[in-house]
Amino acid sequence: MSFDDKKHIRGQVLALKSFKKSRQLNCFADCSTTVSLAFRRCGANMTLAKQTLELWRGTMKEVGGKFGTGVLSYFKFLKWLLMFNIFSFLVNFGFITIPQLIYHPTPDIPAGVSFKGLEILTGAGYFSHTVMYYGGYSNKTQGTGGRSEYNMQLAYFFTVAAYMVLCGAALIYSMASSFRKKYVLADSGLGGAWQLLCSWDFSVTNEKAVRQRKNNLRIQLKAATLLLPFVVSLINLVVPLFYSLFKKIEHYSNPRMQVYAIIVRNVILKMSILGILCYYWMKDVANTFSCWESIVGQALYRLVIMDFLFIMLGSFFGEFLSNVIGTKCIQSLGVPEFDVARNVLDLIYAQTLAWIGIYFSPLLPVIQIIKFFILFYLKKVSLTLNCQPPRRAGRAAQMQTIFIAILFFPSFVGALSMVAYTVWILPPSDKCGPFRGLNTTFSAIQIWMDDLNRVDAFQWTVWIYQHVIRSEIFYFLISLIILVFIYIFRQITQGRQLLIILLRQQIVNVSSGELSGPTCLVHQSCCVRSGCVYVMMLLKCRSNIFS
Amino acid sequence: MGTTASQLRKDLLSEYQELTFLTKQEIILAHKRFSELLSKEDRNVPTPRVPMEKVLSLPELKSNPFRKRICHVFSTSDMKDGSLTFEDFLDLLSAFSDSATLEIKSHYAFRIFDFDDDGTLDGGDLEKLVNCLTGETDDTRLTTEEMRQLISNILEESDIDKDGTVNLSEFQHVISRSPDFVSSFKIVL
Repeated sequence: MSFDDKKHIRGQVLALKSFKKSRQLNCFADCSTTVSLAFRRCGANMTLAKQTLELWRGTMKEVGGKFGTGVLSYFKFLKWLLMFNIFSFLVNFGFITIPQLIYHPTPDIPAGVSFKGLEILTGAGYFSHTVMYYGGYSNKTQGTGGRSEYNMQLAYFFTVAAYMVLCGAALIYSMASSFRKKYVLADSGLGGAWQLLCSWDFSVTNEKAVRQRKNNLRIQLKAATLLLPFVVSLINLVVPLFYSLFKKIEHYSNPRMQVYAIIVRNVILKMSILGILCYYWMKDVANTFSCWESIVGQALYRLVIMDFLFIMLGSFFGEFLSNVIGTKCIQSLGVPEFDVARNVLDLIYAQTLAWIGIYFSPLLPVIQIIKFFILFYLKKVSLTLNCQPPRRAGRAAQMQTIFIAILFFPSFVGALSMVAYTVWILPPSDKCGPFRGLNTTFSAIQIWMDDLNRVDAFQWTVWIYQHVIRSEIFYFLISLIILVFIYIFRQITQGRQLLIILLRQQIVNVSSGELSGPTCLVHQSCCVRSGCVYVMMLLKCRSNIFS
Repeated sequence: MGTTASQLRKDLLSEYQELTFLTKQEIILAHKRFSELLSKEDRNVPTPRVPMEKVLSLPELKSNPFRKRICHVFSTSDMKDGSLTFEDFLDLLSAFSDSATLEIKSHYAFRIFDFDDDGTLDGGDLEKLVNCLTGETDDTRLTTEEMRQLISNILEESDIDKDGTVNLSEFQHVISRSPDFVSSFKIVL
């Protein structure tokens, strides 16, 4: 539809609206139109505000224009993780640190300890007595009886819990929507010729990049003509045996399988190391040291700093040195490409450390925010100086789904389990921290519930706590209901797939001139979203035949 | 170029906001870039038209293999010369913007790929499409045999009613299975 047609229609709609308005003096209709208009304007203004405040917009457009959407997805992922940390910082600082600073403005540091520069690297020394770590928080209820009271124990527990729950919800939501939009609908076999043609990246503006992509696309198209049928059947044979035939994947010519193999190995390695460290902290450190949460917090601080140094080293070796070797020493290697998978996995590992550290060091997100900020500019400079644009169009959308899934499953769930184990089972240290003297951290909630029980107005809260949160039957029933729903939806999905196959066959039959198939099939398919295309085509074929 | 004379009127701005997927800032930026393309005489004409060569000098379109087709599809000129008015330009940016829906993008992609403007993608259109994407010189093109094989693969994959051409519904169906399409079909100033 051309612009003039759109303006014409808009003019007609406005004329109709003003005509209607002059006839109907209906207050309600007037109100509702004004309200809906206000909402739409509000939404437009909010998008505008979001765009102006958007961080790094110019830089990301530059990177996307030169290197394409595959490399841009790394920077988008970095920005998304940064938002998590900024939110965590705001929540922790606002609800935990500020009350602590108001009531105890000066930290009680033992004599003889002063700030030396080394603390920034080790996290110990001066920092271990400040609000940086768990040990720096008091366990008293702040404020006297007359003024409003602030229970530090409950604040600490609920802040960490609320942050984890919101993080989990955000991750699940983005994983589900990404999966639905980008993974399920994608072609399950090898990208056919159409996939290659439609994947042309219109946002690439650099001429050299465009030329290289054209070269690469040509090679891929040539391969598609020769290998397509063979490779498709081979994939359908091998994919179900993915895990048992790990070795076969090594020799596989499909680059996507190679990337998956790299990702799986990387994730297993990093998570095993973290798992062993966590086990050591939970078992040995918790029993040996007096203020063990701060010790764990310091260890995590050091891990975060060390990880940052290693990412910088990785940038140096992976990009700078490869560039030097590729251009000066061994010409055949050429300029390196930006390895998106490896870098995103580094980011996921860094974020796992931050999530584990939330409970032990409430201000760790500050370090993480600084680290991500520096990392963004470091990677951008390294990319511009050392790397060339990727020659083949990567499957950015599917890889993004996988990265979010890895961020959720081993990373977030692992961190959450460790924090949950600490809160539920381990006894907090009795000399420092907001939970000193209690049997477990969770006892604070129990004590609070007992207090509430004495007040009549809050009996409903106590009832919810005793019969919903602490009862096992509730969780059992919920799991059962969820399983039933999953089963029902799976049956619906399978039914629809069968329907699609039937409709496809019917289209071919109808267009080749045979009138077949009951018309009731068309009615049923009206409910099927993906079948709509087939229905339209079916009706078109029928009308062609009858015209 | 005087800034006051070439600024958009407020009512036009809100009208464009309602009729396209662009935000206010993007429309103002588009107006600025469009005015830079105008020659001095055209500036005072009520609805100036920029010739195709000038549009193709934009850095966002310069290296795009489909630049000429894009201009032809969005042009409303009677002479079919690919020249764009400001509203055509906004139409272009709106179809290629972040917030445009999959239906709009696939519709315009279909029109861009339809080289002979007959409403379907037949063998000739597909051949021109592949040549656009692989290169213009003789040694970068596919051989006739490879082209024939490729086109038959494409048709087998997407021609559902087996009539030898890909119509809009079949094209949209193929596109819906390609999740990278929405993020790749983007031009931002």
